[in-house]
Amino acid sequence: MRKVKSALTALLLAVISFVSVIPFWFMFSMSTYKSELIFQGTPIFPSDYFGENLKTIFASNFVQSYGNSLFISIVSMLISVIICAMVGYAMNVYQFRFKKGLHLFIMMTMMVPSQIGIIGYMIEMRNMGLNTTLWPMIFTWFANGFGAYWMISFIQSSLPLELVESARIDGASEVKIFRSIVIPCIRPGLLTLCLLIFLWSWNNYMIPLVFVNNANNYTIPIFIKSLASAYRTDSGAQLAGLTLATIPLLALFIVGSKSFIKGLTAGAVKG
Amino acid sequence: MKNKANKYKGFWPAFFLAPFCICFLVFNLFPILYSFYMSFLDWNGYSEKVFVGFENYINIFTKDTTFWTSLVNTVKIGIVGFPIAIILGLIFAAMICNLKRFKNLLQTVNFLPYITTPVAIGMIFTFIFEKHVGFLNRLIEALGGEAINFIGSPVWAPFVISFMIIWKCTGYYMAMYLAGITSISDDVYEAARIDGANNVQTFFRITIPLLKPVTIFLIITSAIYAFQLFDEPNLLFTNQSSSTVGGPGQSCLTMVWNFYNQAFGANPRMGYASALSCLLFLIIVVVSLIGLRLMNGKEEA
Repeated sequence: MRKVKSALTALLLAVISFVSVIPFWFMFSMSTYKSELIFQGTPIFPSDYFGENLKTIFASNFVQSYGNSLFISIVSMLISVIICAMVGYAMNVYQFRFKKGLHLFIMMTMMVPSQIGIIGYMIEMRNMGLNTTLWPMIFTWFANGFGAYWMISFIQSSLPLELVESARIDGASEVKIFRSIVIPCIRPGLLTLCLLIFLWSWNNYMIPLVFVNNANNYTIPIFIKSLASAYRTDSGAQLAGLTLATIPLLALFIVGSKSFIKGLTAGAVKG
Repeated sequence: MKNKANKYKGFWPAFFLAPFCICFLVFNLFPILYSFYMSFLDWNGYSEKVFVGFENYINIFTKDTTFWTSLVNTVKIGIVGFPIAIILGLIFAAMICNLKRFKNLLQTVNFLPYITTPVAIGMIFTFIFEKHVGFLNRLIEALGGEAINFIGSPVWAPFVISFMIIWKCTGYYMAMYLAGITSISDDVYEAARIDGANNVQTFFRITIPLLKPVTIFLIITSAIYAFQLFDEPNLLFTNQSSSTVGGPGQSCLTMVWNFYNQAFGANPRMGYASALSCLLFLIIVVVSLIGLRLMNGKEEA
């Protein structure tokens, strides 16, 4: 009885995992077909057209779009993480008025999505003359509510305040303490937040959709979309592009999957 | 000693908090306030702005049926999708939490959908559910059934989107519940076992009640996520040659898609769209306030 039960459990888990993974396989396998042939048969096994599809996307501005996406994600990630770490440090080390209010406020900002103010944001960027650059897609990650919340709780649990105290007695300046004591102490937390911001900005769809108005500013999602037109949709090429776009995420995820999942689940479970 | 403490009161907290506060004011708060101001205007993006007072809001509630359609669609898609994803996540978490091997592997594999680019999800699901060539319909036909036009029918299309949500979120919710289960002390389970409780009883009497904070958190965040739904429905219909807004019969027009279409579509109505976004803001704030209340109440108890 027990054996049957555990066999059933194993089977069910296998089916679930299969459902999770099979679309990835489809994506990869279909990207090796010529568009017109994708639907001739069921593309379960890879074919030999991957190189041609790559040629198609490289001939169009895939490389530039990829570079744009990388630039946006890396800059957003670095700056946002530093800003959030600074908030985390201030909220844990100092006592000041309105601290409780500020904490509640950060909790609230976590809930409000950036899409809400996108019209105002677009007009603001247009007036600043930045609406034809990549910056609108970067600025939006700077004051990230979740990041601030995550850094506050991470620093609370992993930075011994005595360390800060003794550094002060030794005469170190606040900036120096932050840079050479706090940052090394909270490295795992910083790494998790880096992964998350990278993921979110890499996958972001709506903000580029609003702001990208010429082919030089394409991000990956917009580039893939641009391959579909009313006349011919080159699905093979689209999927080849998506396969290449998924690689950095998969690599990051496999390298840091533990801290990644830990970061994402941190909101619900304290500690 | 007191002097020293004072030194850390004024300048330094401000120094470390300033970047966040300034960026928040400039890139988040100001745009929302500006949208609020815009919601009292009639403006197509380039012509003269006309102040119309509450007309936009009145139109949304009285004249324009698309607002109500989009509200109903959003709630429908969300109510079908998220509860199933949450329940499945809980069950799977309970199933794999005691596994000795493969636990991490299963968690990682099932987490993959969550990190996938929405564009890819949209395309893959189009391929799976498409009428003539889609994988699922080929399977149905091979089994002797008749192909169903999932994506082209106003009845089925919202379910496809709910299914996309389930596919995307189940692994994430599972990871959340796993983290929750790990934090439950083993002693509790030990005591239950000694008292003679079986697995099913333990699950319903111990695991579920102790995971209540996680469940509340997931319900709130998924409710907020539901009101933001845009990527999945929009991308499901991207590769269709006809550029329909909202899918077949507008059955997949979510609130954000409606907002997006009013603001940046063929016939932009910035003021009207701003009013829509302000209503959306109000809904999300109310939902999250109720949520915070529930969570904090839990902590005090």
